[in-house]
Amino acid sequence: MAEFQVPIGPQHPALKEPISLRMTLDGEVIKDADLKLGYNHRGIEKLAEERNYIQNLYLTERICGICSNSHAMCYCQGVEKLMELEPARRGLFIRTLVAELERIHSHLLWLGIAGHEAGFDTFFMYTWRDREVVMDLLEIISGNRVHYSINTFGGARRDIDDLQKQKILDGMEVLRNRTNYYLNIGVTEPTFIARLSGVGKLTKEQAVSLCAVGPTLRASGVPRDVRKDDPYAVYAELPFEVCTADSCDVLGRAVVRIKELIESYKMCEYLVKNLPVGEIKVKAPRRVKENEVISRYEAPRGENMHYIKSNGTDKPERLKVRAPTLANYAATIEMLKHGFVADIPLIFAAIDPCICCAERSVTLIDSKTGEEKRMFFSQLRKWSIEYYTKKPKLTGVTWPF
Amino acid sequence: MVNRILYEKAKINGCNMAVLKTLLYLFVYPGILFLFVYSTFCEWVDRKVYARLQNRYGPLHTGRAGILQPIADFIKLLSKEDIVPEKADKGMFSALPVFGLTIVTLVAMYLPLWHYSVGTVSFNSFPGDLIVVAYLLTLPTLIFFLAGWHSSNLFSTLGGARVLTMLFGYEVPLLLAVLSPAILADSWRLAEIANFYQARPLLLLVNIIGFFVALICLQAKLERVPFDIPHAETEIVGGTFTEYSGKKLAFFRLMADIEMVVGSGLIATVFMAGFPGGLIWGLINFIIKTLIIIFLLSVMRAVTSRIRIDQMVNFSWRWLAPLAVLQLLIVIILKGILK
Amino acid sequence: MKTKFAAFLPEIIRHLFKRPATVRYPFEKLQVPKDFRGTPVFDSAKCIGCMICVRDCPAEAIDIIRVEDVINPDAPDKPKKKFKMLLHNDRCIHCAQCVESCPTDTYIMNTDYEIAVFNRHRLKIEYK
Repeated sequence: MAEFQVPIGPQHPALKEPISLRMTLDGEVIKDADLKLGYNHRGIEKLAEERNYIQNLYLTERICGICSNSHAMCYCQGVEKLMELEPARRGLFIRTLVAELERIHSHLLWLGIAGHEAGFDTFFMYTWRDREVVMDLLEIISGNRVHYSINTFGGARRDIDDLQKQKILDGMEVLRNRTNYYLNIGVTEPTFIARLSGVGKLTKEQAVSLCAVGPTLRASGVPRDVRKDDPYAVYAELPFEVCTADSCDVLGRAVVRIKELIESYKMCEYLVKNLPVGEIKVKAPRRVKENEVISRYEAPRGENMHYIKSNGTDKPERLKVRAPTLANYAATIEMLKHGFVADIPLIFAAIDPCICCAERSVTLIDSKTGEEKRMFFSQLRKWSIEYYTKKPKLTGVTWPF
Repeated sequence: MVNRILYEKAKINGCNMAVLKTLLYLFVYPGILFLFVYSTFCEWVDRKVYARLQNRYGPLHTGRAGILQPIADFIKLLSKEDIVPEKADKGMFSALPVFGLTIVTLVAMYLPLWHYSVGTVSFNSFPGDLIVVAYLLTLPTLIFFLAGWHSSNLFSTLGGARVLTMLFGYEVPLLLAVLSPAILADSWRLAEIANFYQARPLLLLVNIIGFFVALICLQAKLERVPFDIPHAETEIVGGTFTEYSGKKLAFFRLMADIEMVVGSGLIATVFMAGFPGGLIWGLINFIIKTLIIIFLLSVMRAVTSRIRIDQMVNFSWRWLAPLAVLQLLIVIILKGILK
Repeated sequence: MKTKFAAFLPEIIRHLFKRPATVRYPFEKLQVPKDFRGTPVFDSAKCIGCMICVRDCPAEAIDIIRVEDVINPDAPDKPKKKFKMLLHNDRCIHCAQCVESCPTDTYIMNTDYEIAVFNRHRLKIEYK
């Protein structure tokens, strides 16, 4: 059979959000892959410049539905650094607790998606049923199932009482049993394993050089985790290990996530049992003096980064979001090559893509006429090559070191 | 003279009765009407069992416990907009669902239900009808392939190619597995095979390997998990049926349901001693035996995940075909001993 | 790792005899927690008109409008300012920041969650 191109997306049952993958196929084998972004651009960064810091807290939370707390907490930490504010300790504990509960719900969700993409709907139904436990816990703590809004400048917005503590401990026990079951039995189901193992290879060297993050990186045997390397909130005093796997494939990514689930249960129990007494928040100023900051946060999908620049008013000058999925795209293309068509959804799902987090598009504005035009990256590249061939060559340029 | 007229009248009446009977066979039982009702019921059972295995309810609101849901789905699909893609081969594209439905309905006529008598050879029970049924059950696969091919859609074409690739995997083991009970019964006629085992039920245990091989092959033929490779929605969207909508899709869905009934009917005939006991008991036998098989198929669907096309072909040639051959060997040796 | 054939089978068969986990939603409803963030409820007697909620509302869903003053029983010569609130519930994202920001506890969140309607203008709520 001759080589032909198969479009996956922007609308495709395997993708819950719009993105376009173009596969060059030879029969069932992928020869080349290409990725197009820009179907879901919402202009959140620009909008953030128009709103004050407190409003942006909720705006950043809505960057993503699954890792809503990741963005809000990352932003919140950054602004607190700009405000030179020391958050209340009890508030930090509650924040961290919600962050870990969110990781649990996100990883359980991913396990289900992996099952669904592999055509194993029973596994999908079971994990999502178990995920309800943690969703209910989050609802009890924060009053909402998806957008927890637990972060505020100077601490947390809601306190936890003893009844809630007990419910969290009970929930963790249920989930631990289920997760151990999946680790022991679920992952030994032969048809499931046959679909996961050896799929989407990404060697350690490739993972590092392509700047992969999160479980994708850790499944390639690189123990890199912001919670350990650059502890924020109360992670410095939490007992946990960075989970890695050496198989460098989708199975490894599944195992890393299951192990991280078990670590998260441990952390949640520690946080609940050692919750310090005191205030949950301290008062925060409305205006922030001129400065800039980079805030890092280990989201369930990997390292999340917010760059915030303030200008002395109550609105930020610039907010830049680098979501983990964006960092993983380069590695995804590498993983897709030489695989089967049947593995596309699995490989793509294995980075746990959150497309609305990562969406970017290039818009060029002509400074003289104010005319806007959107360019594809390929056009931009062609244009830049043409531009530089026309330009006279620079002379006397030396390598900086 | 009067006698002659009476004789003629009686002849015409007899003829009418025969025509009426044939029409009843064709349209009521075990023909289209029965197949339609029973296959939708089977789909409901399948969905309900699958849901309960996954800790869900399944269909719940249409009819009692959602029993009318498959019929409601069918009617809803009939009323939907029917689109034929511009680039598709319009004649073939529209004709294929009807062909497919006709073929699977036809197969049902060969199942030895109550209207058989082993002694007489009729148009729908004759020596060698086992082969005819096996052949006719291959045709839906071809229909799926053609449907995919004539849609001129990339995903459909891929699905069609996968349908054919899978055919090479499961068809031979299925035929071998179905043949071994026939060899033991020393007949290629379904009614006689069923009769043979009704007389000697213990011999059914000999074919247990063949039964499971045939069950797995039937699952592959019906393109259900773990063999739903040709229309794996997370990979190639709708696969073969990507371009189909409205009435044509409804016919294809009905066709798949009837194929499930007919396929399990074939396995029940060959491996479970058919459906003895005349009209009523035969029907009850048929329902119980096919439901057992459909239950097993549902459990298989719930317990596995989809495998890749290369794994599927590998699996059927490494495991299913040798097992079917082993079954054949057992049967041949046993036959020698019995003689 | 050792693989077992149909490792899920015992678990699946067990569930055949268990009650489904699904809640049949419109017929049976889950209890919402007491701190559920539903729709904001405004108490005009407490409002002092500082407008912090209007400034902080991320969805710009709150309008505070000054209405005719009412007579203050404690000091009849100084009439009390009275405000009414217009909540654009179609814009509200139920974050409860207004509850947080208000210095006089004018707001509370109720536990309504079935608030969808066909016409978004019907979602406008006026608290007097």
